[in-house]
Amino acid sequence: MKKRKVIATILAASMLVGLLAACGGGGGTTESPAGGESTPPAEETTGGEEPSGDTTDWANFTIDPAQIPQEKLDTTLHLAVSVRGLENPYIATINDGMHLFSEYLDSIGQKYEMQVLDSQGDSAKEVDNMRQFAAMANGNAIAYADPNEDTIAYSLAEAMAESGGYLGTAWNKPADVGPADLTPNWVIHTSPDNVVNGYNIAKALFDSMGGSGQIFVVEGLLGNTANNDRVAGLEQALAEYPDIEVVAKDTGNWNTDEALTLVETWLTQFPDVGGIWCANDNMVTGAMQALDAAGLLGQVGVCGVDANTDVVEAIANGNATATVSSNGYLQGGYTLAICYAAWTGLLDVEALPAEYREFATPTVLIDSPEAAQEWQSYVPDFDFSRPFGCRVAE
Amino acid sequence: MMKLNPSATLTEEFAERIRSENRSNRMMKLAPVLVLVAMLIVFLVTCGPSFLGPQNLVNILNQMALPLVVALGLTFVIMLGSIDLSIDGSVGMAGSLFACFVLNTEFSYNFGFFSVVIAVGVSMLCGLVIGLCHVYLKIPSFMASFAFMYICKGIGMVSYQGHPPTIKDPLITALPTTTFLFIPFITWVAIIMFVLCFFIQEYTAFGRHIYAVGTNESIPRSVGVSVEKVKIGVFTLAGFLFGVAGVIGAIRLGQGQIAIGDDKMFPAQAAVVVGGTSLAGGKGGVVNTIVGVLIMTVLDNGLLTLHVDPNIRTGVQGIIILVAVILTSARGAKVISK
Repeated sequence: MKKRKVIATILAASMLVGLLAACGGGGGTTESPAGGESTPPAEETTGGEEPSGDTTDWANFTIDPAQIPQEKLDTTLHLAVSVRGLENPYIATINDGMHLFSEYLDSIGQKYEMQVLDSQGDSAKEVDNMRQFAAMANGNAIAYADPNEDTIAYSLAEAMAESGGYLGTAWNKPADVGPADLTPNWVIHTSPDNVVNGYNIAKALFDSMGGSGQIFVVEGLLGNTANNDRVAGLEQALAEYPDIEVVAKDTGNWNTDEALTLVETWLTQFPDVGGIWCANDNMVTGAMQALDAAGLLGQVGVCGVDANTDVVEAIANGNATATVSSNGYLQGGYTLAICYAAWTGLLDVEALPAEYREFATPTVLIDSPEAAQEWQSYVPDFDFSRPFGCRVAE
Repeated sequence: MMKLNPSATLTEEFAERIRSENRSNRMMKLAPVLVLVAMLIVFLVTCGPSFLGPQNLVNILNQMALPLVVALGLTFVIMLGSIDLSIDGSVGMAGSLFACFVLNTEFSYNFGFFSVVIAVGVSMLCGLVIGLCHVYLKIPSFMASFAFMYICKGIGMVSYQGHPPTIKDPLITALPTTTFLFIPFITWVAIIMFVLCFFIQEYTAFGRHIYAVGTNESIPRSVGVSVEKVKIGVFTLAGFLFGVAGVIGAIRLGQGQIAIGDDKMFPAQAAVVVGGTSLAGGKGGVVNTIVGVLIMTVLDNGLLTLHVDPNIRTGVQGIIILVAVILTSARGAKVISK
């Protein structure tokens, strides 16, 4: 009896430790964000590849269905997007992108099955999910992955490579590793430029304030790559606008509720604030609620990143200043299209130049009611037969 | 020769011990209030008089509404000596369901007030099932409720499928700015919930049974009280209160999303313990909880007002909570959660 109690206690303790670790793990997670108007690549290509001397027009590389072997078309291809959780509106658009690409597969007669690999913000789980998915597909797998943390990008690609599938990653990876390290299975890595995003929305906000006044800064998760980059962009803009003063700065942890509490409290101390810079749109929603409660909605500028539906609507109504869309439809759909080209054998990954293995994807800055209205009527329509159509030329 | 009366000495000793225990109990009861007063004085001195100005008082009242309702539900569970880990899920789920069923940007339903009934009802049902699993399937409460945290999050995620509904009902969008006697509407809802819980605790047989079950299950069982019914009732009541908290959260944010419930469980637990309710069960109550919630809210608000560097704020907050727990909580040998 005593022994059973001891075992039960150990089990309970390990479960609790696991639970606490899972909760604490949130502290190291990364947010998947959106980008700036015209995004140059976030970083120069890495991996030590020399630019190839070939004359292939990779920008216009085309998937010709007639060249895909019938055997491949009749094989069930497994498609997946590996993400943190579909409750985030931006991540939901990545899944929509996979569905758009599946329509293209229907049009060329490719057999497929698709699924969402939901990591719930747990890095270890994301790698396990990928390994299981790749093993189940036995090499007939392509996936888009948004690594929960920089450090797991290589592990995710390795998990896919073990079974011979093809992976494209987005947003997070360490600077010293890249697709070149796992050729051909780690096909590409893409990322909109968060520094540019942070800078563009800040500039739009400061211009709307006439270039002077007080601002609040609501950061995302501290230490998170996306947050750091966006804040770096904000600081660049602040250097250009010396009459803008940051009177309060803290983290809202990407959370609407926490941003509301921050802004509500600060407004008591600084009722004359002219603008609020937020690192994402979830926090813009909280800031706008606080402004509304104080009767200041529409009078104080607010900006964020992600192009959440409610924020775009607020920009259209004049209640918010700017946001940026990284176009999750495009990221999800085109990453799978490039991986598909590799799986069919039409794209020789080894021959692909470094600048086509790591590149920036386009973003849209929404900084006026007209731009917001245009975005609201946006219907994604892509030509997946030209998969590098998603690349921003350097 | 005079003979000593050993029984008289024993009686005196016993009476002295009781008096000393009563003194220490009174001190323990007062400790949370003293901590709250000390905290208010410190922040008043460091932040200036605006800290207790009318505008910041309204902020504190707004910020304490949701945590108070959550903590009230958890208080009864902790008084049983059990724990409920479903909070993050059930609060987020109720907020999401409520926003989905009122007039909103994403869906065409508009059930008006009935959406509150749906949201709170589903949360209450989840509480009931947690209770049933705990009592009849003999699953520890932390395990059953932990599973329900995920189930509720799942229901919440399915309800809006990545597109959080923004509330458009003009009556509801006006509520965050509505006040009565200078107190915000959502705080009134929390106060009403507090009065309801106080009434249940003090003036109903169910309330007394909660204390009895938390102290020693065999005693109420021996006098014919259904311990099972009491436990199931408590988890259902907690589900009801978590549902109300979710609706408050959605009203405050103007949007339904499961993140409304994120990170609500541990602060609520800390508030209950800082207030003086014992994790071992049988001690404390909702009055302690309201003081505990005030301590946690004032601490959060004060540190924000002071503009403490965010990199160290969380750590500072943790240290202050630890000190508050040391000063206020009833500690004993029995600290196992049933």
